Amino acid sequence: MRGVTKRFPGVVANDDVSLEVARGEVHALLGENGAGKTTLMNVLTGLYRPDEGEIEVGGRPVELHSPRDAIAAGIGMVHQHFRLVETLTVAENIALADRQAPFLLRGREAERQVELTAEALHMPVDPGAKIWQLSVGEQQRVEIMKAVRSGSRVLILDEPTAVLTPQEAQALFGTLRVMAAEGHSVVLITHKLHEVMEVADRVTVLRGGRSIATVRTSEVTRNELASLMVGRDVEPERRREPGEIGDVVLEARGLAARGDRGVDALRDVSLSVRAGEVLGVAGVAGNGQRELAEVLTGLRPASAGVVEVDGKRLRDGDPRAAIRAGVAHVPEDRLRTGVAPSLSIASNVVLKSYRGEVSRGPFLLLRRIAARAAELIRRYDVRGAVPHAPARLLSGGNLQKIVLAREFSSRPKALVVAAPTRGLDVGAIETVHGYLRDAAADGVAVLLVSEDLDELLTLADRIVVMYEGAIVGEVDARAASVEEIGLLMAGVA
Amino acid sequence: MNEGIVVVVLAAAVAYGTPLLFAALGELLAERSGVLNLGVEGMMLMGAVIGFLCVQHVGGSAGVALPIAVAAAAVAGGGCALILAFLVVTLRANQIVSGLALTIFAGAAGLSSYIGNDFELADDPARFSFEPLNALGLGDLPVLGPVVFEQTWLVYASWLAVAAVAFYLWRTRPGLNVRAVGESPAAADAMGIDVTLYRYLHTVAGGALAGIGGACFSLALTPQWVDGLTAGAGWIAIALVIFAFWRPDLCLVGAYVFGGLSALPLILQARGVTIAPQLFQALPYVMTILVLVLVSTGTARRRLGAPAALGIPYVREER
Amino acid sequence: MRIERRLVQRRWLPVAVPIGSLIVAFGAIAVVLLVTGHAPLPTFRRLFDAAFVADGAVTNTLISATPLAFTGLAAAVAFRMRLFNIGAEGQLYFGAIGAAGIALLLAGQSTWLIIPAMIVAGAALGAAWGAIPGVLRAFAHTNEIITSLMLNYVAALVLNYLIFDSLSYWRDTSATGQLFPQGKTLPDAAAWPTFTLGSVTVPFGFVVAIVVAAVVWVLYTRTRFGFETQVIGDSPRAARYAGMRTRRKIVAVLCLSGAIAGIGGASQDGDFRHVLDARGLQQANYGYTGIVVAALARYNPFATVLVAFLLGGLENAGYTLQGADFPSGLVGMMQGIILFAMLGGELLVRYRVVIERSGSVGAAEATT
Repeated sequence: MRGVTKRFPGVVANDDVSLEVARGEVHALLGENGAGKTTLMNVLTGLYRPDEGEIEVGGRPVELHSPRDAIAAGIGMVHQHFRLVETLTVAENIALADRQAPFLLRGREAERQVELTAEALHMPVDPGAKIWQLSVGEQQRVEIMKAVRSGSRVLILDEPTAVLTPQEAQALFGTLRVMAAEGHSVVLITHKLHEVMEVADRVTVLRGGRSIATVRTSEVTRNELASLMVGRDVEPERRREPGEIGDVVLEARGLAARGDRGVDALRDVSLSVRAGEVLGVAGVAGNGQRELAEVLTGLRPASAGVVEVDGKRLRDGDPRAAIRAGVAHVPEDRLRTGVAPSLSIASNVVLKSYRGEVSRGPFLLLRRIAARAAELIRRYDVRGAVPHAPARLLSGGNLQKIVLAREFSSRPKALVVAAPTRGLDVGAIETVHGYLRDAAADGVAVLLVSEDLDELLTLADRIVVMYEGAIVGEVDARAASVEEIGLLMAGVA
Repeated sequence: MNEGIVVVVLAAAVAYGTPLLFAALGELLAERSGVLNLGVEGMMLMGAVIGFLCVQHVGGSAGVALPIAVAAAAVAGGGCALILAFLVVTLRANQIVSGLALTIFAGAAGLSSYIGNDFELADDPARFSFEPLNALGLGDLPVLGPVVFEQTWLVYASWLAVAAVAFYLWRTRPGLNVRAVGESPAAADAMGIDVTLYRYLHTVAGGALAGIGGACFSLALTPQWVDGLTAGAGWIAIALVIFAFWRPDLCLVGAYVFGGLSALPLILQARGVTIAPQLFQALPYVMTILVLVLVSTGTARRRLGAPAALGIPYVREER
Repeated sequence: MRIERRLVQRRWLPVAVPIGSLIVAFGAIAVVLLVTGHAPLPTFRRLFDAAFVADGAVTNTLISATPLAFTGLAAAVAFRMRLFNIGAEGQLYFGAIGAAGIALLLAGQSTWLIIPAMIVAGAALGAAWGAIPGVLRAFAHTNEIITSLMLNYVAALVLNYLIFDSLSYWRDTSATGQLFPQGKTLPDAAAWPTFTLGSVTVPFGFVVAIVVAAVVWVLYTRTRFGFETQVIGDSPRAARYAGMRTRRKIVAVLCLSGAIAGIGGASQDGDFRHVLDARGLQQANYGYTGIVVAALARYNPFATVLVAFLLGGLENAGYTLQGADFPSGLVGMMQGIILFAMLGGELLVRYRVVIERSGSVGAAEATT
C-alpha cells in the first residue's frame, strides 16, 4: 500500500503511509499506541475507506470498499477485539467466513473440517463449543482459523499477545512461522520490541501516523528500533525515589469476586497499601486485575472478603462508600467508565463532586461548575478543551488529564489507578507519571495496576503479581528483574 | 369440560393463532437480523385492507382472486416494512419511534383506514373467503379432524412457513448469516456479510408475512373489512416472538396458546359461563412479561438467543 | 454513496433540515391525495383552517393537544435517561381510573379539594403503573420498551373490566347503565375550570401541562437529580463509577414519566369527559402519539407542548372535517408521513452524505 491517508473528526490518523509485505514473511508493524497502526489495518481490511492512497495485492491494485472486498483480495485480519459471534459455535463462526461453505449447512462435516484445520495449525479447539464458553486464547485461535479458511494469503494480527500468557504467545509465534513457511504473508501489529525481534523478518516503524522506516530485524538492535519508534533516543525514565511511608491506608483481606462471565475472577486476594507508597499490580490482562480494582472501588461486589480504608470497613459494592472514604479511581476504560462521553467537560469535572460545593440543596450552581472546570483545565493544562464541549471530543491523553484532574482534586487518601497510560503518547505518559509521583509524595496510598512492566518498575515500591485471580508473588520493585516478574506472571514460579 | 368444548377451543386456537403465527414469523425474521419493527399492527392492517380490496375488485373465481389478494397483502405489508427499513437501516433513525410512526401511518387511524373508507369497503361482505377444507378426507376423525384437518389453506400455509423459516435459519448458509447479523453486526461485517442488505431483506420479508397475517382476518376469520379489525394482534405478535425465544417452532406453539386464550372467553360466553374475559385476554401479555424477565440475565440471553444487536443501528466507521 | 458523521456542525442545519423535512412530507402527502383523487392544496387549506383559523378552532385544538402534551412530556422525561416509556397509554388509563375514583369518593366536597385530589390520585396511579417496568428494568435488566408496551394492554383490559364486565365502583349501575355499560358521571365539583383568552377557551389541563413542562425543564437542567439522570442516560457505567444510585433513579424516572401520563388521564376525566370513558380513551391512542410528539420535539419539554399543539390541530381538523370527501385515516397517515420525513431528516443533521463515483477516490459533499 502506498500513500494512504485517513482522517477522522479532528485527527489525521494516517498520513501518507506506505507498507510493503513479501510472500512468506512475517512483517511487524511497530509503533506506539496512537501511531496509527490499527487505523491502517482497518483501511487494509476494508473497514475504513482511505481518503487518499492506493493498495495493491499480488501486484494488482485493489479497491477495498468493504470487508468483503478485502476477503476477496485475500486479506484476513485478527482484530484486537475479536469479531466473533458469541452465541454461535466455533464451526459456525468459521463457516460464516468461509466463502466455499455450501448453501446447506452440514454441522458434523463442518466440525470435522475445523478439527483438521486446527490440527494442521497446531491450535487445539473444540469445534462444537459456543464462542462465549471459550477462553480468550481459544477465541483468538478461532479468529486465525477463520482467516485461513476464508482463503487469506495475507494475515494481519492486531496486538495478538496482549491477552496471552507468555507461553500462549510462544505457541502463537510457532503457528505464525508455520503459516509463513507455507507461503502466507503475516503482518504483526505490535508495540512490543521483543516480539518484533523474536518473530519478524522485517519491520516497518510507524510514528505519528507516518511510516518512518522499514528494516530487517537481523540488521537492527532493540535500542535502534526503540528510538525509531519514539522519534528520539529513549532515555529510560528515572526511577521514583522512595518517599516517606506512613500507616496502612487501603487494606483488602480475602477478597473474592466473580467476573463478567460469572466465573471466579478473584480468589482470596489480600493486600495493603500505606500512605505515600506505590503498590504495583502486575499480570497478563484478564488475570483478575480489573476485577481487583473494581472491587476495591466498590464497582463490583465481592463474593467474600473485606476492604478497609483507615481501618474502617467499606460497604461492599457501593462506589459511593468508597468515594466518601477517600478512594479515588482512575478506571481502565476511561472513555466509557471514567467519563460520560456525550456530556460536557464541565459536567465530567464534577461527576463525583456534584453533591458537594457546586450545589445548594437539590439545585446545581451552574456558574460555579463552569468556573471549576475552567480552573482545572488551566491547572492541568488540558489543551484544546473548553468547559461546554462534549468529553468524547478530547484525545486520549487530554481525556486522561481530565479524569486525573477530577480524581486528584478530590484530595483522596488512596488512589486506585488502572492502565493509566494505555493508548497515550510519550509526552502524555510522562505527564501522567508525573502526577502519580506527586500523589505519592503528597502521602496518598497509590495502587497502580498495569500490564506495562517498565511502568511498574519505574513507579512502584512493591509489586504484587496476579495469576488466575490470585496473588502469586510479591517483589521489591527496586530489586526485581523483568524476568523474575515475567515468570510469576506466567504462573510458573 | 366435555370433549366437545375442548375440540371447539382447539380448533379456534388454531384459527385465531394463524394470523399471529404469520405476523410473529415475520417479526422473528426482522428481529433475527437486528431490526425491532414495532409497526406490525400497521402492516397487518395494511395487508387486511389491501387483501380485501383485491378480493372485491379482482375478477375471476375464488381460486384466482384469493391467491392474488394474499399476494397483494404481502406486497402491502412488505412495502410498509420497506419504508421502515429505509428509515432505520439507511437513515439510522430510531427503531422504536420509526416503528410506532409506521403503526400510526398505516394503522387504524391512518392509511389502512383511509383506503378502506375511501373505497367504502366496510359496506359489503367479502366476495370470496378462505373456507375450511376437509384435507385428505380426514376431517371426520374425532378431535384431530376438526383441529388439524378441517382448516383453511392459510393454516396449512402457515405450517409450511414455520418449517421453511426454521429450516432457513438453522440449516442454510444465509440463515446462519442472519443470525450473525442480528447477534454481532460488526463481526458479520468483518466476515464480508452485507449487513445492510440482510436487514433490508428480512425486514421486508417480515412485513410481507405480517401483511398475510392481516389478510387472515379480512379473508378468513371475519370475511369483511372494518376499521382496526386486527384489534391489537400485531402487538400480541411482537409479544409472541419474545415468548417463543425467537424460535419459529416455539412460535407455532405460542401462537396457538395465545390464539386459544383470545378465543376462549367468546366460547365460554356462548356456553353461558360467566367469567371476566379480560382474565384470559391479559394472560398473553403477562406471560410475555414474565418470560422477558426470565431471559433478561446475561447467560440466559446467550442460551436462549435474543439477538444482541436488536434495535441498534449499525454504523461501520463510528469510533 | 456513503454516509459519514459530520466533522463540523453547521449552525443552520438544525433549522433548515426540519423545514425541508416538512416540505418533503407535505409533498408526499400531496402525492397520496392526488393518487386517491383528492386535490392537495385545497385539502391543506381546509385542514389549516379547521385547525387554527375557524371559529372555535383553537379551542378545539387545545382539547386535542392537552392529552398529547402530557403523554409527550411523559415520553420526553423517560428519554432523558435513554429509556423508552411506551407505556404512557396504560399509565394514562390508570391516571383516569384513579382520578375518577377519588372524584366519585369525594362527591359533595368542595371543588378546591376534589381537583387537587384528582391530580394527585391520577399521578399516583400513573406512577404506580410506570413503576412496574421501572422496577423490572432496574432490578432484572428487563427491557422497558416491551414491558411497558405489554402493560398498556393489561391496563386497557383493567379499564374494560371495570366498566363492561363487573359492577365496579366506577360503573353506572342504574338500569340504563346495566343495559348500556358506562361509567358513573363524576360530580359537578370535579369539572376542571377553563380560562378565556379572547375567543379561545383554554382548558385547565393545558395550563397544568405547561406547568409540568416548566417543572421538568428546571428539574433536568438545574438540579442534581437532572444531572444524575443525564449521566445515567449517557453512560450507566460512568454513573455507577461516580457513586450514583442508578437503579433508584431508573425507577424514579419511570415513576415520574408515569405520573405525568397519569395527570393526563386525570385531565381527561376532569377537563373533557367527566366520566371514566373506557372506550373513548382507548380509541384515542394518546400514548403512542405522545412518543411521536416527544420525538418531533427532540425531547425538549417546551417544544413538546408546542408540537402537541400543532399535532393537536391536525387531529382536531381531522375530526371536524371527517366525512365523505374527507376519509378518516387521512390525519393518521399525514402524521405518519410527517414523522417519517422528520426522522429521516435527523440523519442530515448528524451525518453527511458523500456521493462517490466508482473508480475515483474524490468525493463531493451532497448539498442539503
